[in-house]
Amino acid sequence: MRKSGTLRRQLILWLVTPLLLLWLISTVVDYDIAKRFVNLAYDRALLEVALDIGRNIKNVNQQTYVDLPDVALQMLQSRESGRLYYLVTGPDGEYISGEPQLADPPDDSSDRIRYYDEEFQGREIRVVALRVPVQPGSGKGVALIRVGERVTVRTESAGQLLLRLVLPQAVLIFFAVLAVWYGVGRGLAPLASLKREIEHRSHRDLSPLPQEQAPQEVQPLIRAMNDLLERLSLAIAAQQRFIADAAHQLRTPVAGLKTQTELALRQSQSDAAQVTLRQLQVATEHTIRLINQLLSLARAEHGVTHGYATQPLDLSALARETTTDWVPRALARDIDLGFDAPSDGARIEGDPFLIKEMLGNLLDNAVRYTQPGGQVTVRVAPQARDVILSVEDSGPGIPEAERERVFERFYRALGTGVEGCGLGLAIVREIVLRHGGRVSLEGGGDGIGTVVRVSLPRAA
Amino acid sequence: MRILIVEDDPVLADGLTRSLRAADYAVDCANDGAAADHVLAAQHYDLMILDLGLPKLDGFEVLRRLRRRGSRVPVLVLTARDALDDRVKGLDLGADDYLTKPFDLPELEARVRALIRRGQSGGASVLTHGALALDTAGRRATLNGEPIELSARELGVLEVLMLRSGRVVNKEQLAEQLYGWDEEVGANAIEVYVHRLRRKLEPAGVTIRTIRGLGYLLEKSPHA
Repeated sequence: MRKSGTLRRQLILWLVTPLLLLWLISTVVDYDIAKRFVNLAYDRALLEVALDIGRNIKNVNQQTYVDLPDVALQMLQSRESGRLYYLVTGPDGEYISGEPQLADPPDDSSDRIRYYDEEFQGREIRVVALRVPVQPGSGKGVALIRVGERVTVRTESAGQLLLRLVLPQAVLIFFAVLAVWYGVGRGLAPLASLKREIEHRSHRDLSPLPQEQAPQEVQPLIRAMNDLLERLSLAIAAQQRFIADAAHQLRTPVAGLKTQTELALRQSQSDAAQVTLRQLQVATEHTIRLINQLLSLARAEHGVTHGYATQPLDLSALARETTTDWVPRALARDIDLGFDAPSDGARIEGDPFLIKEMLGNLLDNAVRYTQPGGQVTVRVAPQARDVILSVEDSGPGIPEAERERVFERFYRALGTGVEGCGLGLAIVREIVLRHGGRVSLEGGGDGIGTVVRVSLPRAA
Repeated sequence: MRILIVEDDPVLADGLTRSLRAADYAVDCANDGAAADHVLAAQHYDLMILDLGLPKLDGFEVLRRLRRRGSRVPVLVLTARDALDDRVKGLDLGADDYLTKPFDLPELEARVRALIRRGQSGGASVLTHGALALDTAGRRATLNGEPIELSARELGVLEVLMLRSGRVVNKEQLAEQLYGWDEEVGANAIEVYVHRLRRKLEPAGVTIRTIRGLGYLLEKSPHA
């Protein structure tokens, strides 16, 4: 499978590869052009030297010679731009001046000016051959002047010229890449913000993604995703509604079962029947608890029954109210239920129904698992950023190894011997997460019992 | 006392009928909304127990028609839903109380008693709690018929506790009862009155529980 790179990398790859290819071609072409112009210029310079020498060829008394001071000739040989080699021969090929080892022109053409390359002292040199009349208008024949210089001088010049042509192009490519890099970043900024939006989203938040600031190319993608989100939330809502409906539908028959059992317990005179009826009653209570918890879990996961609406809440007041509701049940089990909270400073943003449900589940667990004569205490303690709601009991406690697992659905601490369905803490966690809080389970003070600590973000 | 039960689940309807008949009420039963509406138009009842989810005519509609006819029969609504809006809607339409299914039978019976008493104008002014009786009009308390010495404020505290017997009463509620709005509320004073009440009532087995951080509770006597 093709590895999918980032859009930026792909764009840059697609930009840089052709640019580099073009750059390479342009370098080759430029080098050719540079060489041609350098050759032209240097050839002309060579010719100038040859012409200079030619103008100074004298023929006096059948004697042909170059009328140049030795100093001038020496200067030719020690030029800044590289040493020149020259040879002047007379009409009959007789040596007149210069380097006698310079070879003859490669062919016998009688062109006035000829350029050619030759090997001289093991080095490549470029030579111009110029034919000049020994004495203009005299018909005394022509002298042949050869002036050569090393080819390396030209290659160096051509190289420098090439560098000056090609370097700016490289810089141009570099800046083009930079511009594309930056431009792509700018262009993709809406995508990056979309990514952040999706990353930071809770898995329960199925509201549509913002579409306005996205570039037009991305909008169909967002629309498709929003469409999927909508279908997903409809499907989830339908499922939650099914659970809620099923739980509601179960409540009526179970109410009948409970009523009939209680009635039979009152009326039955037989001890054996009483035992059976009590078992029936326990099983009925268990079923009721399970139904209620399924219902609150469905509700916590999705606000199907009455929507999910946060509002500013006084956690102290809400916890006081809920704890008060639980006093009769705690007393029925001979449990000392207490409450401790400041009168203010415990404001949070939340859904009062769900928060009550959460505390109700914590109290249900605490009251259920604490032995008669024990204590359960609900505390509200505002901190700098959070409000801590804790429920401490003097029950059997939960071994450290199991403390994380008890938040799982249908998990029940072993060996407690108490009927429960193990949904309570799963519901608590669900509700706490909904409110952006955290929940933890610790051993109680003095190593007795359990403390469930819920921390919820404090409202400004 | 005549009670109409409107409930479509036959097992639950039967259970309710038999338990209320055992308490010497005359009970009729309707198993759908239309039948209930029909029978309500012809017969006087002292109380109706109404399920909301009914075939043919739903409970809300039965209630609405009943009130439109000007009937003031107390209505106890039973609902399988516990969403807040159901309760509010039911009470708005003129239900007097509600219970969510499933419920404890004694709880239902207590509500039935309370609603029937409320329905009879000028209900008894004597509160009883086991051996303890409090005449709210005469401002007198008796234990097993014997008068007990209580100050006016001790009587006030006891009255609030007895009115809410089995439920928590917080200090603010007690203070409100004892003092006017602008008088200084003394939590310590409340503690003193409760302490004195305990001393006088505990020999007779009447227990006032302290609920840590929440207030006080008059414990339910076994045969309340």
